[in-house]
Amino acid sequence: MIETVLFWIFAVLAVLGGAGVVLSRSPLNGAMSLVGAFFALAGLYLLLSAQLLAALQVLVYAGAIMVLFLFVIMLLNVGADEVRQERIGPIRGGVATLTSLAALALVGREFLRIRFPFARPPSDFGTVAAVGRVLFSDFTLPFEATSLLLLAGILGAVVVAKGKI
Amino acid sequence: MIHFQAADVAALAPEILLSAGAIVLMVTEVFLRGERRGYQALLTAAFAAAAFEAFAAQSGNPPRAIFGGFAVQDGFATFAGAVVCAGLFATALIGAGFLRPRAAERGEFYALALLAAVGMCLLVRGADLLFVFVALELMSVSTYALVAYLRVGTRPSEASFKYFILGAFSSALFLYGTALCFGATGRTSLSGIAAAGGGRLLLAGLGLILAGLAFKVAAVPFHMWTPDVYEGAPTPVTAFMAVGVKAAAFAVLVRILLSAFGARPFAAAWQPLLEALAVLTMFGGNLLALGQRSVKRMLAYSSVAHAGYLLVAVASTARTGRAAAAAVRGEAVTGLLFSLAAYTATTAGAFAALAAFERLSGSEPQPWDLDRFAGLAKRRPWAAAATAMLMLSLAGIPPSAGFVGKLLVFRAAVDAGLVPLAILGVIASLIGLYYYLRVVVVMYMEPAPAGAPVSPPSWPTDLTLVATAAIVLLIGIGPGPLTAAAAAATGLLGG
Repeated sequence: MIETVLFWIFAVLAVLGGAGVVLSRSPLNGAMSLVGAFFALAGLYLLLSAQLLAALQVLVYAGAIMVLFLFVIMLLNVGADEVRQERIGPIRGGVATLTSLAALALVGREFLRIRFPFARPPSDFGTVAAVGRVLFSDFTLPFEATSLLLLAGILGAVVVAKGKI
Repeated sequence: MIHFQAADVAALAPEILLSAGAIVLMVTEVFLRGERRGYQALLTAAFAAAAFEAFAAQSGNPPRAIFGGFAVQDGFATFAGAVVCAGLFATALIGAGFLRPRAAERGEFYALALLAAVGMCLLVRGADLLFVFVALELMSVSTYALVAYLRVGTRPSEASFKYFILGAFSSALFLYGTALCFGATGRTSLSGIAAAGGGRLLLAGLGLILAGLAFKVAAVPFHMWTPDVYEGAPTPVTAFMAVGVKAAAFAVLVRILLSAFGARPFAAAWQPLLEALAVLTMFGGNLLALGQRSVKRMLAYSSVAHAGYLLVAVASTARTGRAAAAAVRGEAVTGLLFSLAAYTATTAGAFAALAAFERLSGSEPQPWDLDRFAGLAKRRPWAAAATAMLMLSLAGIPPSAGFVGKLLVFRAAVDAGLVPLAILGVIASLIGLYYYLRVVVVMYMEPAPAGAPVSPPSWPTDLTLVATAAIVLLIGIGPGPLTAAAAAATGLLGG
């Protein structure tokens, strides 16, 4: 019972946050809405008893990445009036609407075909031990490749940030 | 609990060598005090050669999945990986000649090039969309940084920014396609997607994946970034993008299409799409190249046009209801691999020529214009002859590697029943004759302008130029060994 109530609270918050990102004119409000959506998602993960995923969601997305977003917005001092107000013509608007509706129909049809309830995940699903075990056994290769990707990212950032080679 | 064997690690020997090279170059740079950095390019070239050898040593091995199916070891990946390593080798040599006069030779440049090559080698053997994405990003992120390596003036800045934004956008398209494929089938492995099958959602995912990769290979209408980025990037980086990124992206495109979407209903969907892309790309690239006065921009459009010829080969691999489909597919993949190798040698050489004759100063605007090539036949006869040979190969005139590559591709298209496509390809390459031969004409027929500045000669660049021209000529005269190697490499795991 309490789980259902919590689910609805988090779900509504997540959707509201997502809508806020799209609808708000000011970049700062949009970024803050995204933070809210991330926290709501973390709550949903907790309800699924995936503690590690929830913690990472807060630390990495709501913490590190969004702080970077806000930092850039404040550094550049982008206000609502800085964002170019563009009029979207009927053709572009029509094409965009039709494409979005088609995409929605495609994905929605697939959602309708899902049979509930799912098989229960194993009891240690989403714990540090379980994630660590999978990461270092089944996913060794992508994991190591990702470490190289991070190295390339750091190296690239150094090269780009240097004023002069 | 460990889900891989020692043999899996051994299969990754080329990638491990390249990563080790990147780390060595990155770490030694920290301790350097003086200006003696000549070893860096040679070390990079040595690691590239070692990785090439490691790929060559794997060439006979039977195809198998490694690391729990995330990657494979098969002839196709081995051949494409060897092509990437050859491209890296040439890039390192061109880089030495290009960076030293500009006082910009640093370990980071070569480390990033090696990391990009690791990404490409992993990309060509990726058998799981998740892993393919990681490899794609490793390649792309390193390349973004390389494009932004020398940012003197507005053009290089524009190039690096444009490439970063559009590259990130295309990666996002690819990722969204992956998500849709996962949503439709519940799998990310190529074999799993092929086994599960699916309806329109899977097709939408395939479409997004195709669009993402079409950006990377610069196919029309996803080519808008190509001329500006190729022109603004440092010449060795442009060469690496034209050979390495393109070869790796084509290899993974073929693997995804054949391994995950090889079944007939899917092949019937993507074949016409690729045919249309091929026609647009061949004609778009060649027609847009006609008016260019800047040789670097002309080569950018030429690279677009060559993506079109390679797309003809990809379209010919589709398994549609015709008899002897397997033989035709083998022929098409052979043509593709041969063309990739021939194109790598030719384009690396063409950019080496550009680097050899390019203006040194960073003052803008930097016209890598046609006039720089005037009278070269008198001043630097060997370099001019090599450049002429490479231009003939790009144009597809026998005896050259480019001619044999086009021949194989168009023959595969005819055998696959795509006769109109082959005819259009021949017409498109006839258009290309004009602008390639114009460079030769300018070199041999026009006198050098008075007081023309002479670029300082650099032996690594000249060596690359003459060696690639010799290779292109040798392959053109005796294409047997390379054709045999490409034909032996068509064994695609799960294809």
